[in-house]
Amino acid sequence: MQPVNQTNGKINLDPDNAEHGLAQLVLTIIELLRQIVERHALRRVEGGTLTDEQIENLGEALMNLEEKMEELKEIFGLDDEDLNIDLGPLGSLL
Amino acid sequence: MGNLLYLYGLIPSKEAEQSLPALKDFDGNGDIYMIPVGKITAIVCNLDAENYSEEMLKERINNDMEWLQEKAFHHHETVLKLANLYTIVPLKFCTLYKNQDSLENAVIENEAKLLDTFGLIKGNEEWNLKIYCDDHLLKKQVGENNPTIEAKKEEISQLSKGKQFFEKKKLDKLIESELEAEKNKTSEKIHLQLKGLALRGDVKKAWSNDVTGRKEDMTWNSVYLIPKTKVESFLEEVRRYEKDMKEKGWKFEATGPWPAYHFTSF
Repeated sequence: MQPVNQTNGKINLDPDNAEHGLAQLVLTIIELLRQIVERHALRRVEGGTLTDEQIENLGEALMNLEEKMEELKEIFGLDDEDLNIDLGPLGSLL
Repeated sequence: MGNLLYLYGLIPSKEAEQSLPALKDFDGNGDIYMIPVGKITAIVCNLDAENYSEEMLKERINNDMEWLQEKAFHHHETVLKLANLYTIVPLKFCTLYKNQDSLENAVIENEAKLLDTFGLIKGNEEWNLKIYCDDHLLKKQVGENNPTIEAKKEEISQLSKGKQFFEKKKLDKLIESELEAEKNKTSEKIHLQLKGLALRGDVKKAWSNDVTGRKEDMTWNSVYLIPKTKVESFLEEVRRYEKDMKEKGWKFEATGPWPAYHFTSF
Protein backbone atom coordinates (compact mmCIF):
# COMPACT_ATOMS: atom_id res chain seq x y z
CA MET A 1 0.00 0.00 0.00
CA GLN A 2 1.26 3.45 -0.83
CA PRO A 3 1.89 5.78 2.11
CA VAL A 4 -0.98 8.22 2.46
CA ASN A 5 -0.10 11.86 2.42
CA GLN A 6 -1.57 13.21 5.63
CA THR A 7 -2.14 16.66 4.22
CA ASN A 8 -4.51 15.58 1.46
CA GLY A 9 -7.59 15.23 3.65
CA LYS A 10 -7.35 11.46 3.94
CA ILE A 11 -7.23 9.59 7.20
CA ASN A 12 -4.08 7.56 7.57
CA LEU A 13 -5.31 4.12 8.65
CA ASP A 14 -2.08 2.17 8.47
CA PRO A 15 -2.60 -1.46 9.68
CA ASP A 16 0.66 -1.37 11.63
CA ASN A 17 -0.19 1.87 13.33
CA ALA A 18 -3.94 1.69 13.70
CA GLU A 19 -4.19 3.58 17.00
CA HIS A 20 -2.58 6.63 15.44
CA GLY A 21 -4.98 6.52 12.50
CA LEU A 22 -7.89 6.09 14.88
CA ALA A 23 -6.77 9.02 17.03
CA GLN A 24 -6.59 11.15 13.88
CA LEU A 25 -10.09 10.05 12.85
CA VAL A 26 -11.59 10.71 16.29
CA LEU A 27 -9.89 14.07 16.70
CA THR A 28 -10.98 15.10 13.21
CA ILE A 29 -14.60 14.44 14.14
CA ILE A 30 -14.25 16.23 17.47
CA GLU A 31 -12.65 19.16 15.71
CA LEU A 32 -15.52 19.30 13.21
CA LEU A 33 -18.07 19.35 16.04
CA ARG A 34 -16.06 21.88 18.00
CA GLN A 35 -15.93 24.20 15.01
CA ILE A 36 -19.67 23.86 14.47
CA VAL A 37 -20.39 24.66 18.12
CA GLU A 38 -17.97 27.58 18.05
CA ARG A 39 -19.49 29.08 14.91
CA HIS A 40 -22.98 28.65 16.27
CA ALA A 41 -21.98 30.30 19.55
CA LEU A 42 -20.42 33.20 17.67
CA ARG A 43 -23.67 33.71 15.77
CA ARG A 44 -25.66 33.68 19.04
CA VAL A 45 -23.29 36.25 20.55
CA GLU A 46 -23.56 38.45 17.46
CA GLY A 47 -27.34 38.02 17.53
CA GLY A 48 -27.38 39.92 20.83
CA THR A 49 -29.81 37.62 22.65
CA LEU A 50 -27.36 36.42 25.31
CA THR A 51 -26.69 38.08 28.64
CA ASP A 52 -23.16 39.20 29.55
CA GLU A 53 -22.89 36.32 31.97
CA GLN A 54 -23.94 33.77 29.36
CA ILE A 55 -21.42 35.18 26.88
CA GLU A 56 -18.70 35.01 29.50
CA ASN A 57 -19.47 31.39 30.40
CA LEU A 58 -19.76 30.30 26.80
CA GLY A 59 -16.52 32.05 25.85
CA GLU A 60 -14.59 30.51 28.67
CA ALA A 61 -15.95 27.03 27.99
CA LEU A 62 -15.01 27.28 24.31
CA MET A 63 -11.61 28.63 25.16
CA ASN A 64 -10.94 25.68 27.47
CA LEU A 65 -12.16 23.31 24.78
CA GLU A 66 -9.76 24.88 22.31
CA GLU A 67 -6.87 24.51 24.75
CA LYS A 68 -7.77 20.86 25.42
CA MET A 69 -7.85 20.23 21.70
CA GLU A 70 -4.36 21.70 21.34
CA GLU A 71 -3.12 19.40 24.12
CA LEU A 72 -4.64 16.34 22.46
CA LYS A 73 -3.10 17.25 19.13
CA GLU A 74 0.24 17.56 20.85
CA ILE A 75 -0.12 14.17 22.56
CA PHE A 76 -0.93 12.38 19.30
CA GLY A 77 1.61 14.32 17.25
CA LEU A 78 -1.01 15.81 14.93
CA ASP A 79 -1.19 19.30 13.52
CA ASP A 80 -4.03 21.38 12.08
CA GLU A 81 -3.56 20.03 8.59
CA ASP A 82 -4.01 16.44 9.81
CA LEU A 83 -7.46 17.32 11.12
CA ASN A 84 -8.53 19.20 8.04
CA ILE A 85 -11.27 17.70 5.92
CA ASP A 86 -12.76 18.76 2.64
CA LEU A 87 -16.39 19.78 3.17
CA GLY A 88 -17.12 19.94 -0.55
CA PRO A 89 -18.91 23.15 -1.55
CA LEU A 90 -18.33 24.58 1.95
CA GLY A 91 -14.55 24.47 1.47
CA SER A 92 -12.16 22.90 3.94
CA LEU A 93 -12.84 22.70 7.65
CA LEU A 94 -9.68 24.52 8.76
CA MET B 1 -12.72 -0.31 -40.30
CA GLY B 2 -10.52 2.48 -41.60
CA ASN B 3 -8.27 5.00 -39.99
CA LEU B 4 -9.06 7.95 -37.79
CA LEU B 5 -6.96 11.09 -37.92
CA TYR B 6 -5.41 12.42 -34.72
CA LEU B 7 -4.84 16.16 -35.09
CA TYR B 8 -1.88 17.70 -33.23
CA GLY B 9 -2.01 21.20 -34.66
CA LEU B 10 -2.49 23.51 -37.60
CA ILE B 11 0.24 25.60 -39.22
CA PRO B 12 0.39 28.10 -42.11
CA SER B 13 1.13 26.19 -45.35
CA LYS B 14 3.88 28.72 -46.11
CA GLU B 15 5.83 27.31 -43.19
CA ALA B 16 5.15 23.71 -44.21
CA GLU B 17 8.03 23.95 -46.70
CA GLN B 18 10.25 23.16 -43.77
CA SER B 19 9.89 19.41 -43.55
CA LEU B 20 8.66 17.66 -40.44
CA PRO B 21 11.22 16.03 -38.19
CA ALA B 22 10.72 12.29 -37.66
CA LEU B 23 8.24 12.15 -34.77
CA LYS B 24 6.57 8.97 -33.58
CA ASP B 25 2.78 8.83 -33.78
CA PHE B 26 0.23 8.36 -30.98
CA ASP B 27 0.63 4.58 -31.00
CA GLY B 28 4.38 4.71 -31.31
CA ASN B 29 4.34 2.63 -34.51
CA GLY B 30 4.23 5.11 -37.37
CA ASP B 31 5.17 8.71 -38.04
CA ILE B 32 3.21 11.93 -37.97
CA TYR B 33 2.63 13.69 -41.30
CA MET B 34 1.14 16.79 -42.91
CA ILE B 35 -2.11 17.27 -44.80
CA PRO B 36 -2.21 20.58 -46.71
CA VAL B 37 -5.66 22.21 -46.89
CA GLY B 38 -5.10 25.36 -48.95
CA LYS B 39 -3.31 28.02 -46.89
CA ILE B 40 -3.41 25.83 -43.80
CA THR B 41 -1.62 22.57 -43.14
CA ALA B 42 -2.74 20.03 -40.58
CA ILE B 43 -0.22 17.90 -38.69
CA VAL B 44 -1.72 14.50 -37.98
CA CYS B 45 -1.19 10.80 -37.51
CA ASN B 46 -3.33 7.78 -38.28
CA LEU B 47 -5.12 5.84 -35.60
CA ASP B 48 -6.78 2.49 -36.08
CA ALA B 49 -10.53 3.14 -35.68
CA GLU B 50 -11.04 -0.28 -34.18
CA ASN B 51 -8.69 0.41 -31.28
CA TYR B 52 -9.76 3.98 -30.69
CA SER B 53 -13.54 4.15 -30.52
CA GLU B 54 -15.07 7.06 -28.64
CA GLU B 55 -16.16 4.77 -25.79
CA MET B 56 -12.74 3.23 -25.48
CA LEU B 57 -11.08 6.63 -25.32
CA LYS B 58 -13.52 7.91 -22.70
CA GLU B 59 -12.99 4.78 -20.65
CA ARG B 60 -9.21 5.09 -20.76
CA ILE B 61 -9.15 8.82 -20.08
CA ASN B 62 -11.31 8.32 -17.00
CA ASN B 63 -9.90 5.07 -15.66
CA ASP B 64 -6.42 4.35 -16.97
CA MET B 65 -4.12 6.90 -15.38
CA GLU B 66 -0.95 5.28 -16.66
CA TRP B 67 -2.18 5.31 -20.25
CA LEU B 68 -3.45 8.87 -19.90
CA GLN B 69 -0.16 10.09 -18.48
CA GLU B 70 1.87 8.46 -21.24
CA LYS B 71 -0.37 9.70 -24.04
CA ALA B 72 -0.89 13.20 -22.65
CA PHE B 73 2.89 13.46 -22.34
CA HIS B 74 3.28 12.29 -25.95
CA HIS B 75 0.78 14.90 -27.14
CA HIS B 76 2.42 17.67 -25.14
CA GLU B 77 5.97 16.77 -26.21
CA THR B 78 5.00 16.51 -29.87
CA VAL B 79 3.16 19.85 -29.91
CA LEU B 80 6.04 21.48 -28.03
CA LYS B 81 8.56 20.25 -30.64
CA LEU B 82 6.31 21.46 -33.44
CA ALA B 83 5.88 24.84 -31.74
CA ASN B 84 9.66 25.29 -31.87
CA LEU B 85 9.59 24.90 -35.64
CA TYR B 86 6.29 26.39 -36.80
CA THR B 87 3.64 28.97 -35.92
CA ILE B 88 1.17 26.46 -34.60
CA VAL B 89 -2.43 26.45 -33.40
CA PRO B 90 -2.15 23.57 -30.92
CA LEU B 91 -5.07 21.18 -30.56
CA LYS B 92 -6.45 19.75 -27.35
CA PHE B 93 -5.43 16.24 -26.29
CA CYS B 94 -7.31 13.57 -28.28
CA THR B 95 -8.77 15.66 -31.09
CA LEU B 96 -9.87 13.06 -33.64
CA TYR B 97 -11.45 13.23 -37.10
CA LYS B 98 -13.29 10.38 -38.77
CA ASN B 99 -11.53 10.87 -42.08
CA GLN B 100 -9.57 13.36 -44.15
CA ASP B 101 -12.75 14.90 -45.60
CA SER B 102 -14.17 15.84 -42.22
CA LEU B 103 -10.84 17.35 -41.15
CA GLU B 104 -10.56 19.33 -44.39
CA ASN B 105 -14.11 20.63 -44.06
CA ALA B 106 -13.45 21.79 -40.51
CA VAL B 107 -10.28 23.59 -41.59
CA ILE B 108 -11.97 25.25 -44.59
CA GLU B 109 -14.88 26.41 -42.45
CA ASN B 110 -12.51 28.06 -39.98
CA GLU B 111 -9.93 29.29 -42.46
CA ALA B 112 -10.38 33.03 -41.92
CA LYS B 113 -10.31 32.70 -38.12
CA LEU B 114 -7.24 30.47 -38.25
CA LEU B 115 -5.33 32.85 -40.53
CA ASP B 116 -6.11 35.68 -38.07
CA THR B 117 -4.87 33.53 -35.21
CA PHE B 118 -1.60 32.78 -37.04
CA GLY B 119 -1.19 36.55 -37.41
CA LEU B 120 -1.75 37.01 -33.68
CA ILE B 121 0.63 34.34 -32.41
CA LYS B 122 3.46 34.62 -34.97
CA GLY B 123 6.61 35.93 -33.31
CA ASN B 124 5.00 35.74 -29.86
CA GLU B 125 5.29 33.30 -27.02
CA GLU B 126 2.82 32.08 -24.42
CA TRP B 127 4.08 32.28 -20.84
CA ASN B 128 2.36 31.27 -17.66
CA LEU B 129 2.74 32.92 -14.29
CA LYS B 130 1.74 31.34 -11.02
CA ILE B 131 1.96 33.30 -7.81
CA TYR B 132 2.07 31.46 -4.49
CA CYS B 133 1.72 32.92 -1.06
CA ASP B 134 2.66 31.76 2.41
CA ASP B 135 -0.49 32.75 4.30
CA HIS B 136 1.09 32.42 7.73
CA LEU B 137 3.85 34.89 6.94
CA LEU B 138 1.52 37.31 5.25
CA LYS B 139 -1.11 37.04 7.98
CA LYS B 140 1.49 38.06 10.50
CA GLN B 141 2.30 41.17 8.50
CA VAL B 142 -1.35 42.06 7.95
CA GLY B 143 -1.95 41.58 11.68
CA GLU B 144 1.03 43.71 12.64
CA ASN B 145 0.89 46.55 10.17
CA ASN B 146 -2.77 47.35 10.10
CA PRO B 147 -3.76 50.20 12.50
CA THR B 148 -7.41 49.06 12.68
CA ILE B 149 -6.31 45.59 13.76
CA GLU B 150 -3.75 46.98 16.20
CA ALA B 151 -6.40 49.13 17.86
CA LYS B 152 -8.82 46.23 18.02
CA LYS B 153 -6.18 44.01 19.68
CA GLU B 154 -5.59 46.65 22.31
CA GLU B 155 -9.33 46.95 22.93
CA ILE B 156 -9.71 43.19 23.28
CA SER B 157 -6.93 42.86 25.83
CA GLN B 158 -9.04 44.94 28.25
CA LEU B 159 -12.00 42.55 28.11
CA SER B 160 -12.86 39.63 30.36
CA LYS B 161 -11.62 36.15 29.39
CA GLY B 162 -14.86 34.79 27.91
CA LYS B 163 -15.56 37.89 25.87
CA GLN B 164 -11.96 37.99 24.71
CA PHE B 165 -12.44 34.57 23.14
CA PHE B 166 -15.27 35.73 20.89
CA GLU B 167 -13.64 39.04 20.02
CA LYS B 168 -10.42 37.23 19.09
CA LYS B 169 -12.39 34.94 16.78
CA LYS B 170 -14.03 37.93 15.14
CA LEU B 171 -10.64 39.56 14.73
CA ASP B 172 -9.24 36.40 13.15
CA LYS B 173 -12.06 36.56 10.63
CA LEU B 174 -11.28 40.19 9.92
CA ILE B 175 -7.58 39.42 9.41
CA GLU B 176 -8.54 36.55 7.12
CA SER B 177 -10.64 38.77 4.89
CA GLU B 178 -8.03 41.56 4.92
CA LEU B 179 -5.48 38.95 3.89
CA GLU B 180 -7.54 37.77 0.92
CA ALA B 181 -8.12 41.36 -0.16
CA GLU B 182 -4.42 42.14 0.16
CA LYS B 183 -3.40 39.05 -1.82
CA ASN B 184 -5.79 39.85 -4.63
CA LYS B 185 -4.89 43.51 -4.75
CA THR B 186 -1.16 42.81 -4.91
CA SER B 187 -1.47 40.03 -7.48
CA GLU B 188 -3.74 42.10 -9.67
CA LYS B 189 -1.34 45.02 -9.60
CA ILE B 190 1.52 42.75 -10.66
CA HIS B 191 -0.64 41.21 -13.37
CA LEU B 192 -1.53 44.61 -14.81
CA GLN B 193 2.11 45.68 -14.86
CA LEU B 194 3.23 42.48 -16.58
CA LYS B 195 0.34 42.73 -19.01
CA GLY B 196 1.89 46.00 -20.13
CA LEU B 197 4.77 44.00 -21.64
CA ALA B 198 2.45 41.50 -23.33
CA LEU B 199 0.07 41.61 -26.26
CA ARG B 200 -2.52 39.87 -24.18
CA GLY B 201 -2.84 38.67 -20.63
CA ASP B 202 -5.61 36.51 -19.21
CA VAL B 203 -6.38 35.51 -15.65
CA LYS B 204 -7.11 31.85 -15.06
CA LYS B 205 -8.50 29.96 -12.11
CA ALA B 206 -5.92 29.38 -9.39
CA TRP B 207 -5.34 25.70 -8.64
CA SER B 208 -6.10 24.15 -5.27
CA ASN B 209 -3.35 22.70 -3.09
CA ASP B 210 -4.56 19.20 -3.98
CA VAL B 211 -3.58 19.87 -7.59
CA THR B 212 -0.33 21.72 -6.93
CA GLY B 213 0.73 19.43 -4.07
CA ARG B 214 2.26 22.49 -2.41
CA LYS B 215 1.89 23.91 1.05
CA GLU B 216 1.49 27.51 -0.07
CA ASP B 217 -1.77 28.58 -1.68
CA MET B 218 -1.78 29.53 -5.31
CA THR B 219 -2.94 33.12 -5.28
CA TRP B 220 -2.81 33.89 -8.96
CA ASN B 221 -2.63 32.01 -12.25
CA SER B 222 -2.35 33.94 -15.49
CA VAL B 223 -1.18 33.55 -19.08
CA TYR B 224 0.45 36.08 -21.34
CA LEU B 225 1.11 36.30 -25.05
CA ILE B 226 4.44 38.11 -25.23
CA PRO B 227 6.44 39.32 -28.25
CA LYS B 228 9.70 37.33 -28.36
CA THR B 229 11.68 40.57 -28.04
CA LYS B 230 9.99 41.34 -24.72
CA VAL B 231 10.19 37.92 -23.08
CA GLU B 232 13.49 38.71 -21.38
CA SER B 233 12.10 41.94 -19.89
CA PHE B 234 9.03 40.03 -18.71
CA LEU B 235 11.18 37.42 -16.97
CA GLU B 236 13.43 40.09 -15.54
CA GLU B 237 10.39 41.80 -14.06
CA VAL B 238 9.17 38.51 -12.53
CA ARG B 239 12.63 37.93 -11.02
CA ARG B 240 12.54 41.43 -9.56
CA TYR B 241 9.18 40.77 -7.88
CA GLU B 242 10.51 37.46 -6.57
CA LYS B 243 13.56 39.15 -5.10
CA ASP B 244 11.65 42.04 -3.55
CA MET B 245 8.79 40.01 -2.11
CA LYS B 246 10.36 36.66 -1.24
CA GLU B 247 10.83 37.51 2.40
CA LYS B 248 7.22 38.55 2.75
CA GLY B 249 6.13 35.04 1.74
CA TRP B 250 5.52 35.46 -2.00
CA LYS B 251 6.76 33.07 -4.66
CA PHE B 252 6.64 33.56 -8.43
CA GLU B 253 6.83 30.88 -11.06
CA ALA B 254 7.00 31.82 -14.72
CA THR B 255 7.01 28.93 -17.20
CA GLY B 256 7.19 28.85 -20.97
CA PRO B 257 7.32 29.23 -23.82
CA TRP B 258 4.22 27.06 -24.21
CA PRO B 259 2.34 26.30 -27.41
CA ALA B 260 -0.26 29.09 -27.55
CA TYR B 261 -3.10 26.97 -26.12
CA HIS B 262 -4.78 29.89 -24.37
CA PHE B 263 -4.74 32.32 -27.22
CA THR B 264 -5.99 30.03 -29.97
CA SER B 265 -9.08 27.96 -30.53
CA PHE B 266 -10.26 25.59 -33.22
